[in-house]
Amino acid sequence: MSTIIVDNISKKFRIPHEKKNTVFQHIVGLIKRQFNYEEFWALKDVSFEVNKGEAFGIIGRNGSGKSTLLKILAKVLYPDSGSVSLDGKVASFLQLGVGFQPELTARENVYIYSSILGLGRKQVNRIYDEIFDFAELKKFENMKLKNLSSGMTVRLAFSTAFHAVPDTLLIDEVFAVGDESFRKKCRDKMDQFKAEGKTIVFVSHTLNTVKELCQRSMLLNEGRIITMGDTEKVINDYLAMLQKKTI
Amino acid sequence: MWQYRELIWNLTATDLKNRYQNTALGFFWSLLSPLLLALVLYFIFRNLWGREQDFAINLLVGMMAWRFFATGTSSSLRAIVGNSSLVTRVYIPRQILVLSNVLANIISSLLEFIVLLPIIFILLGYLPVTVFLFPLIHIIYFWFIFGAGLLLSSLYVYFRDLDQIWQVVTQVLFFCSPIIYPLTIIPANLMPYYLLNPVTQLIIMYRDVMVAGDLPSLYSIVVVIGFAIAAYLVGSLVFSKLQRRFAEEI
Repeated sequence: MSTIIVDNISKKFRIPHEKKNTVFQHIVGLIKRQFNYEEFWALKDVSFEVNKGEAFGIIGRNGSGKSTLLKILAKVLYPDSGSVSLDGKVASFLQLGVGFQPELTARENVYIYSSILGLGRKQVNRIYDEIFDFAELKKFENMKLKNLSSGMTVRLAFSTAFHAVPDTLLIDEVFAVGDESFRKKCRDKMDQFKAEGKTIVFVSHTLNTVKELCQRSMLLNEGRIITMGDTEKVINDYLAMLQKKTI
Repeated sequence: MWQYRELIWNLTATDLKNRYQNTALGFFWSLLSPLLLALVLYFIFRNLWGREQDFAINLLVGMMAWRFFATGTSSSLRAIVGNSSLVTRVYIPRQILVLSNVLANIISSLLEFIVLLPIIFILLGYLPVTVFLFPLIHIIYFWFIFGAGLLLSSLYVYFRDLDQIWQVVTQVLFFCSPIIYPLTIIPANLMPYYLLNPVTQLIIMYRDVMVAGDLPSLYSIVVVIGFAIAAYLVGSLVFSKLQRRFAEEI
């Protein structure tokens, strides 16, 4: 059974030669008849399915369309053609701590961030202590966020995100934060999610993490799927591709 | 929208907390500026229109009604661009950003009107019964501002000089509304056009129910509801068309 079905999606970006950002520039452009922009296909005819309870990796070089694809799954971007269907509750971690307010306390921010991730107040009340224990920030719950260190802020964001967990997680390269012990805690949490049968789509440059986490992966290059299947094989293809490029 | 009610409320509360910076006095500071402005305007125009009935109270009511329009539209204009991470990094229905912004503004506006009530009582000696119609007018006003906010905030993503354009439009509208002068100075032949301005109609309605103790005229109600529905329909239509590319353009 698939929870994520991506059917033949393409995404085109318009890159104008000169970015028109104001009414004035648009009027000038109309008079001069400048409509020139270049089209750039960030994704072209991408189709795949992810089964329920599966961890699926997406790898590729910079600019290969990984993040665009994840943003389309997260409904932040719309594809120009094709369709995407996702079952169940989805939480996207394209960036941690979205909507954090520096002027408000850690406590208030946990409630705001949770509601952005789709949790109700009652649900947050239930996991509130767990969030602060995991982040090791119990002492700081009434401090304004701007007075916490950046590491603490990241831990708070991570912990909230991890406890607000839905059926499907979309994760974009957010692992390389915190110290070693916190990273290990996060790794364990991911394994726990997998054991609980959550679906995970994971975009990363850290091939080892992908290898550990994902059974199946996909290699993107210039917006197209190069290979898809067993992670081991996909990573080997990727390394071979990189080698060919450098020669 | 109902399933997002907690998020909407959290964003509204955040907006208010940021605005008043967690201090109890914060709100009173923001109230002080319109009151002082009204005072200055009163002394300037007292000799001109001081003999008009209830000029001082009408000036105050007009100022407060105007403020919801001016701050409501100019702050909801930035609701999308000013919250770029909530647009590009996570999915929430983007109307929420505008809605919570306008909600924060209507709460501010309600507080301002509540402060106005004792002032009216002191100046007038009594409060008209019709003051109970105030919430109804405010709800219609809210839909008008929400619609305008949807339109402005989505266009602002594409046209970044819209804030300056809107500032000029707002200024013109201020002088086209009967705030600092009485309605009686408008020439009779221009009056029908003048009365088509929804802000004018809203100000007239507030004065009817809060000062004169009259029921608003049917014409006022039709104009205001008509504009509210039109603003909301056009606003949502344009917004839902434009929002597909928000994350790319922002």
